[in-house]
Amino acid sequence: MALSGMRGLSVFISDVRNCQNKEQERVRVDKELANIRTRFKNQRGLTPYEKKKYVWKMLYIYMLGYDVDFGHMETVALISAPKYAEKQVGYIVTSCLLNENHDFLRLVINTVRNDIIGRNETFQCLALTMVGNVGGREFSESLAPDVQKLLVSNTCRPLVRKKAALCLLRLYRKNPDVVNVEGWSQQMVQLLDERDLGVLTAVMSLLVALVASNPDGYWSCLPKCVHILERLTRNQDILQEYTYYGIPSPWLQVKTMRVLQYFPVVEDPNVRRGLFDVLQRILVGTDVVKNVNKNNASHAVLFEAIALVMHLDADKEMMSQCVALLGKFVAVREPNIRYLGLENMTRMLLVADVNESIKKHQAHIISSLKDPDISIRRRSLDLLYGMCDISNAKDIVEELLQYLTTADFGIREELALKAAILAEKFAPNLAWYVEVILQLIEKAGDFVSDDIWYRVVQFVTNNDDLQAFAAAKARDYLDKPAVHETMVKVAGYLLGEYSHLLARRPGCSPKEVFHIIHDKFPTVTTPTKALLLSAYVKILMHSQPPDQELQAQVDEVFKRCESFIDAEVQQRAVEYIILSHKGPSMVDIMAEMPKFPERQSALIKRAEDAEGEPTEMSATKLRQRQNSMALVVADPGSANGGLPPPSEQLALPEPPPPAPEPAAPAAPAAPQSAYANGTNKAPAPASTNGDLLGDLLAPLALEAPPISTPSPLTQSADPGEPLALALYDQQNQIKPIGSIEDWFRALSLKDSGVLYEDPYIQIGIKSEWREAQAKMVLFLGNKHTVPLVNIRVLILPAPHLKMQFSRVPDTIPPRAQVQVPVEVTCLSASRETAVLDFSYTISTLPVNVKLRLPTLMNKIFQAAPVSASDFVAHWRAIAGPPTKLQEVVRGVRPMPVSDMGDLFNSLHIGVAPGLDPNVNNIVAATTFFSQAGATLCLVRVETDPSDRTQMRLTVASQDPNVTYEVKEFIKEQVIDIPFARTPAPTPSPAVMGLTGPAAVLAGLI
Amino acid sequence: MPVAASAVYFLNLRGDVLINRMYRDDVGGNMVDAFRTNIMQSKELGTCPVRQIGGCSFLYMRISNVYIVIVVSSNANAACAFKFVVEAVALFKSYFGGAFDEDAIRNNFVLIYELLDEIMDFGYPQNLSPEILKLYITQEGVGSPFSSKPQDIRTPANATLQVTGAVGWRREGLVYKKNEVFLDIVESVNLLMSQKGTTLQCDVTGKILMKCFLSGMPDLKLGLNDKIGLEKEAEAKARPSRSGKTIELDDVTFHQCVNLTRFNTEKTVSFVPPDGEFELMKYRITDGINLPFRVLPSIKELGRTRMEVNVKVKSVFGARMFALGVVVKVPVPKHTAKANFQVTSGRAKYNAALDCLVWKVRKFPGQTELTMSAEVELISTMEEKKSWTRPPIQMEFQVPMFTASGLRVRFLKVWEKSGYNTVEWVRYITKAGSYEIRC
Repeated sequence: MALSGMRGLSVFISDVRNCQNKEQERVRVDKELANIRTRFKNQRGLTPYEKKKYVWKMLYIYMLGYDVDFGHMETVALISAPKYAEKQVGYIVTSCLLNENHDFLRLVINTVRNDIIGRNETFQCLALTMVGNVGGREFSESLAPDVQKLLVSNTCRPLVRKKAALCLLRLYRKNPDVVNVEGWSQQMVQLLDERDLGVLTAVMSLLVALVASNPDGYWSCLPKCVHILERLTRNQDILQEYTYYGIPSPWLQVKTMRVLQYFPVVEDPNVRRGLFDVLQRILVGTDVVKNVNKNNASHAVLFEAIALVMHLDADKEMMSQCVALLGKFVAVREPNIRYLGLENMTRMLLVADVNESIKKHQAHIISSLKDPDISIRRRSLDLLYGMCDISNAKDIVEELLQYLTTADFGIREELALKAAILAEKFAPNLAWYVEVILQLIEKAGDFVSDDIWYRVVQFVTNNDDLQAFAAAKARDYLDKPAVHETMVKVAGYLLGEYSHLLARRPGCSPKEVFHIIHDKFPTVTTPTKALLLSAYVKILMHSQPPDQELQAQVDEVFKRCESFIDAEVQQRAVEYIILSHKGPSMVDIMAEMPKFPERQSALIKRAEDAEGEPTEMSATKLRQRQNSMALVVADPGSANGGLPPPSEQLALPEPPPPAPEPAAPAAPAAPQSAYANGTNKAPAPASTNGDLLGDLLAPLALEAPPISTPSPLTQSADPGEPLALALYDQQNQIKPIGSIEDWFRALSLKDSGVLYEDPYIQIGIKSEWREAQAKMVLFLGNKHTVPLVNIRVLILPAPHLKMQFSRVPDTIPPRAQVQVPVEVTCLSASRETAVLDFSYTISTLPVNVKLRLPTLMNKIFQAAPVSASDFVAHWRAIAGPPTKLQEVVRGVRPMPVSDMGDLFNSLHIGVAPGLDPNVNNIVAATTFFSQAGATLCLVRVETDPSDRTQMRLTVASQDPNVTYEVKEFIKEQVIDIPFARTPAPTPSPAVMGLTGPAAVLAGLI
Repeated sequence: MPVAASAVYFLNLRGDVLINRMYRDDVGGNMVDAFRTNIMQSKELGTCPVRQIGGCSFLYMRISNVYIVIVVSSNANAACAFKFVVEAVALFKSYFGGAFDEDAIRNNFVLIYELLDEIMDFGYPQNLSPEILKLYITQEGVGSPFSSKPQDIRTPANATLQVTGAVGWRREGLVYKKNEVFLDIVESVNLLMSQKGTTLQCDVTGKILMKCFLSGMPDLKLGLNDKIGLEKEAEAKARPSRSGKTIELDDVTFHQCVNLTRFNTEKTVSFVPPDGEFELMKYRITDGINLPFRVLPSIKELGRTRMEVNVKVKSVFGARMFALGVVVKVPVPKHTAKANFQVTSGRAKYNAALDCLVWKVRKFPGQTELTMSAEVELISTMEEKKSWTRPPIQMEFQVPMFTASGLRVRFLKVWEKSGYNTVEWVRYITKAGSYEIRC
């Protein structure tokens, strides 16, 4: 920089530097700015030298952080100056002061272009640097061809071509259209033949960006890249200036390998062999040395190589070689290297088959857990979590538990969660799991979330042979001097439920158990107190023969809590005190909790939510895929006591004891296990409202009316009841609670809810549509205290639907729920629905209902976002009937256009707002799926603002049938009271013929 | 008594600590670093005197080239803290005999530490009166050679009596050859006027400063032409008050020497004055203010790069009086390049650091009208419509022997046992506070 010639500038800079404080500096800068303004104002006297000097000063002031918003004209004018020094200032200041959206830039495009296509190399470099720094769409549109020409020209010096490559990269990032794939891929291949490493590095940067967006287009570059790598690793023909600590251009190596990772797997065996040779060489040749810089460079290359190895799915030998190398890194003392080793090992877990080789380094990894550096500890925790499987789970979890006591507070919660998940996933047997979790609660009570202990309770409840063991353990833990509140909760719950199983053991009589628990009562929080009250009443109920003394003590506790400040505790106390005097009938109410339906572990879900880093996420996901069945994977042959066979253990809800045959026969096993491995949501409808266990902890209440008084209602065919399709048996005296019509209507927009409910049974439905297929589960819940018999479930499918469901047990025990999974496939478009014919007998009173299933068309729709141009193109492509139908619909429910748009959206017909210029029109699009494939449907509605009861509806799609059905479906939805008692004025039966369940029902009417 | 400070720091403008004194251990020693990095380096310096960082409150004030920072971690009384700083600075000034700045602090480290020990205990402010402290902290400040004055050395005979006695502010047995009293009435006018010349906000804050060189224990009585005093007098004399102007004083505060019971019952200001200089009373007036200057601005923007400024200033006080040091600051946009002036009197120029046209008139006679007109050229900027907020025109001046409120001293009576004669001197001066005219 030719500062030496500019005295004024250096004086100004030294003035500013000599300022004592910020204020003085500001005064000095303001003065200078005023001076520059004055000088720029009377332009006539300004020599090029002065102009240059003042522009430099402006840049300096700008760099100090002051606003400079004038003088751009002068700056831009300098660019066209003939002298280098002036041009340089012009370019530098322009690229600093102006951004890409600035209007002034338009003024310079021509000058810049002249410089680029000119002969003067230094000017070319200046121009390319400025264009690269500023970027911008306008530059890229007008200058890209010239920059490309420079890049491929043979006459330019490497210096210029290097800059041209980087400049093009920047322009490409701003505007990908500047490079068209067809023409440019061949150019890139030629550019990769370049001998000069500098140009090659710049070109490789460009290639990384190009390949990232379109790997297929640059396929031909792949062999060249491999060749370059070969050249580099063999150290052939590399100039001294491009070697860095003896490594031939590590930057180029890394970039080349990065490019290779964008291509899918290499097919050509020769290329592949060559590439593996290279990688082998890198893996063998890298080691940890003294020099930090050399280490950095060689490790950067190595880690990129490892990433490439993973990408290429190399053979096992190479993988284990990588792992061995990383193992060496993990053992090094240097924290940076260690961190990188651990991190990359975690990444390696993504690739199968390396688990075994990683396990060899388990000791080192565990010792990293005690490293003073927290980031290393975190990495090793992640790694341990990822590498854990059945074989080493015991060691790792124990190690984590041990570490928990000394760990940082910041990491403890994560640690506790991870330990709990691992214990759950890989438990060799459940007793060990319970033991681990209890230990966990003891050691890190504060960091154990509720989910963890809920899970323990679920397992213990679902496994009969675990109950005594768990209760005994819980009792032992309560004996310890300082007990965490979470422990009190678990122990209170477990002892309340199962302490009677221990009654024979010394020190476990109901009275003693009560005293142990009650010792903790004063110190715990209110929710726990409520829980403990439930435990007391259960202990009391289990004490056989009734123990008067215990009864008196418990009563006293309840009495005291009757006026407790918290309403929940108070209510429980009041209820329990009355219940506890009910005598034997209490046993029914206070019976053991029923088994929990199987569901995805809340912990794993939480861990998924908590995962931030994408790599980690995928690692966890992968793990889950591998070990889908959580505890079921446990070896059934192992010495885990008298566990039931694993298939029965948890994956399926166990049949309730009185049922004569298994509730869930073989057929639904597949979807059931799908629930277990976390691809589906918990099936139980109760789980929709919060936590199941939480619900069960609440006091029980009776809701079904006694059987002796069947509601003496007369005929179900009440004319006032808007029942179009659901009919009752003539003998049926049992009326539904609520309107079947309303339920159906609600379900036509929702995926789950109640389909039918009467005093004895509740039928819930939950469906999940994925394109043309659906998984639907019917929940038949007996609300009553008497079993429902002669259950018969028939589904009359519509002709366009294929439905499969499993057999249903013909008895539902009291207060039990049976799930009936149904698989639905849509074959073609139709607005008819399937019908469920359901009947049962309650104490010789037969009941039969026919219910429409919500298999409506809109469930299969998927709102399709379309742009204006797409829409118009599709719309035009579809000519007229039968693929494009139009109808004027009358008798429309009057509603504003916006409401109608909402209605469409709720039917999954995606409204495209603003596409139609007329505000009274709605334009929407949706995709209809059937087995044949997806069909895009376009809908246009024109409403009349003066008469809201009519509208013109136009529907277009490729398939005439779909068009017709969609049109009719929309009509049904918008016409006034579509579900009216009087049959809606739909011409469908006449047109389509009387087929399917609708016809059956019509016959019944 | 509220806490005022946990620690006091004196910093120079660069942020170096000149003095630090911790009074409580509830703030860390590194708090000053937080002040330096988060307040001094930030742009908000000077906009907000109280900032909270990391659980501590920083109350700071800049006095010449020194920042005085008070750090508290509790909910301290901010007003008390600032008053403490102001009083402490006044104390230091009276010790150093002149300026309070970085050099003065560097020259008087030991004295300042000794004073800081005395004037605050465990964060609670103590006696800050220079008269009394000077009796006991006799260490002399290193004053600048010009202002040093011989000080008589007194014996610290009855320290407790001085602090606890009935007349704690005056020693007995003072003797002066010539008994003199100087009375200064200093008023500052705050004004905000709209473009059209209507007064939006106007008040006068005044104070009466006194300098006594009186022997013995004199009892003084001051009479002003304020409303309360005159009415009382009229009542006593059973005759209607004179038709002359009476002034209504608001928010009057007195020096501790004024006998408040007598003020409440007899509505007279009577007191035994401390020796030397002190502020007898402060007041505020909101009604019936005589503005000394009228300003008629006209600023026209001619296109994007030119402006025409025309300011007419008219003095409305008596023709025989004159104002001194009149400065009119007319704000102009930031991108001003050049200004050409025409003035009837004084000098005008463009000040880039203030973004103002500054017009100075050294002596401005009463009942005259002066004008300044300027053509301002602006440079074109990038942002096309960067709106200019047009800040108000500011004015500075001093008008001797004029009170904007019209307050006059009617009498000052001195009564002493020995019955000597005294000479009384009264001066008036009106200054500009924030005298702003919108344009």
